Amino acid sequence: MEEVASANTSGAKKERKGVKAVRWRMLLIVILGSIALVLLFTLSMTIGPYDISFTEAMEQIWQIIITGGKPEDMSGKIIYNLRIPRSIAVMLVGAGLAIAGAVMQAMIHNPLVDPYVTGVSSGASFGVILFTLGASYIGSMSVYMFAPIGAIIGAVAAFMITMLVAEGAGGKAMSYVLGGVIVAAGLSSGTTLIMSLNAEKIHSITAWMFGSFSNIEWQDIYVIAIPIILILIIILFEARKLNVMLLGESQAQYLGINSRQYKRIMLMLSAVLTALCVAYCGIIGFVGLVVPHLCRMVVGGDHRVLIPSSIVVGAVVLMVADIISKSGPIGELPIGAITSVVGVPFFIYLMLKEGKRYAM
Amino acid sequence: MQCEEQQAEKNMLDVSDLVFGYSDEDTLKGVNITIKPGEFVALMGPNGSGKTTMMRCINKILKIKSGSVKIDEEDILRLKMEDIAKICTTVPADTPLDFALTVRDFVSLGRAPYVNTLWWETDEDEKIVDQAMWDLGITRYENRRLHELSSGERARVLLAKGVVQTPKLMLVDEPSAHLDIKYKVQVMEILRDLTNKGLTVLIASHDINLLTRFCDKIMLLSKGRIIDYGLPKDVVTKESIREVFDIEVELVECNGIVYILPTGSTIIEQ
Repeated sequence: MEEVASANTSGAKKERKGVKAVRWRMLLIVILGSIALVLLFTLSMTIGPYDISFTEAMEQIWQIIITGGKPEDMSGKIIYNLRIPRSIAVMLVGAGLAIAGAVMQAMIHNPLVDPYVTGVSSGASFGVILFTLGASYIGSMSVYMFAPIGAIIGAVAAFMITMLVAEGAGGKAMSYVLGGVIVAAGLSSGTTLIMSLNAEKIHSITAWMFGSFSNIEWQDIYVIAIPIILILIIILFEARKLNVMLLGESQAQYLGINSRQYKRIMLMLSAVLTALCVAYCGIIGFVGLVVPHLCRMVVGGDHRVLIPSSIVVGAVVLMVADIISKSGPIGELPIGAITSVVGVPFFIYLMLKEGKRYAM
Repeated sequence: MQCEEQQAEKNMLDVSDLVFGYSDEDTLKGVNITIKPGEFVALMGPNGSGKTTMMRCINKILKIKSGSVKIDEEDILRLKMEDIAKICTTVPADTPLDFALTVRDFVSLGRAPYVNTLWWETDEDEKIVDQAMWDLGITRYENRRLHELSSGERARVLLAKGVVQTPKLMLVDEPSAHLDIKYKVQVMEILRDLTNKGLTVLIASHDINLLTRFCDKIMLLSKGRIIDYGLPKDVVTKESIREVFDIEVELVECNGIVYILPTGSTIIEQ
């Protein structure tokens, strides 16, 4: 009897070590990621059409800190008014899209979905175009408010259509991808038509559509930062329930969760999160797909380690993409195109690797 | 024996006049069952007879039309889903898709109804998980992914998740559908062992010979009605099997247990 008991505890101890290892790995990712973010942020201050050297950037940041945001030099003004808000937006959007993707994957129970694939991003961008155009016809000046509202309405509507189509078609993993592709195709054509018909009204929007952070100002940060951070915090605290939802709707019910309602709420939350990201920065594909998968490979599927890791890695990935985008030889490269260049091969890899297992 | 006397009046499960239907036509047409604590009861019946439906009524996933279901002397209508999850666990036929969850992550999910900390499980939760994994011999698969395990091992993982829910009643739906004969017996032995420790188990299965060997009582469900409920040797007879499953069988007795041999043939109806 005693022998069994001692064997039991040693088994238990060994077990705990495995669990702790995952938590340490998560902590390591968060710490290393945060250091990387600081470095990337500083590097990002030096890159752009106006040449600012590293030492100058450091000096100007110091100036900005001690003057409380009132730099005197030209380079200081560029850093403060353009490059800092832009980098903050990049980090928030990177984290936001990654988490929107992670939540969608858990809720739809499908490793192939993200805000882009399900058509949510396209819906948000359609909504933005429609609402900003409407606002310009009415003559309203508050375009800043119209863009996120339009994005949220568009995102939620597009998501609902995708879900209805996919579930009507049997709810297989591929149904969501196909449904999303169809919805996205329809919405982009709609966007193109509206833009062609109103070419004189909208000039800067073409660049925005492919994802761009070049127009971000402090004003935008105030509007998107608070809701994005709020939603990220909510989702962090829901990590446990997200784990239970991985069991599927009915098995989650066996564990006392009203899973149908919960799924709807979380999916809406991820659609709103996507919309906020798209509202000012346009469509940036595949971040929501690639980042959670990368993190799963390192820390596993427990959302309590996956969500914090994805927030940090999402921010890092998009910062890198933004720096590449800003370093283009002739002007800026669209950041959405850069993420897609990396994202498409990854999606194909996932399809080939997971396709059989998920019975598509 | 003492234990039995003490618990004589108490029912772990008390279903009376349960009516349920997915549409106007009723799937369950007035079901009455009582199960005492620690009993190992089988729910037997042909495909489509309402076994799974009945389980889903007992754990309140489906909303019953009329009648009542009491688990541990409490009406389920008065219990919240998470309270039911603390009394009653349902062990499904197979694990769901793998999202890079380890065996331990998966088993720990069984603690979900109890968790009131914000983030990690408490030490007590961890202890319960350790114990259940040890008891079911899956500790050594601790950090393996679910899909890397064989179906026999996965069946034990599913049972472990049920056990860590520390339920009083366990509903088991077709646990051994795709297991080989050794693991079918193993699952039944595990369940028998759990009932010996006081858990009440209601199992739905098609393995009649395993049910007669391991279960205390068998319930025969046909077309939404319980047509017989009692000791295996009383319920499993040539006549009852012919009536419910529409096939001729021979009975064989071995060590006091009745087994069936399906000697008859079937007719494909047009």
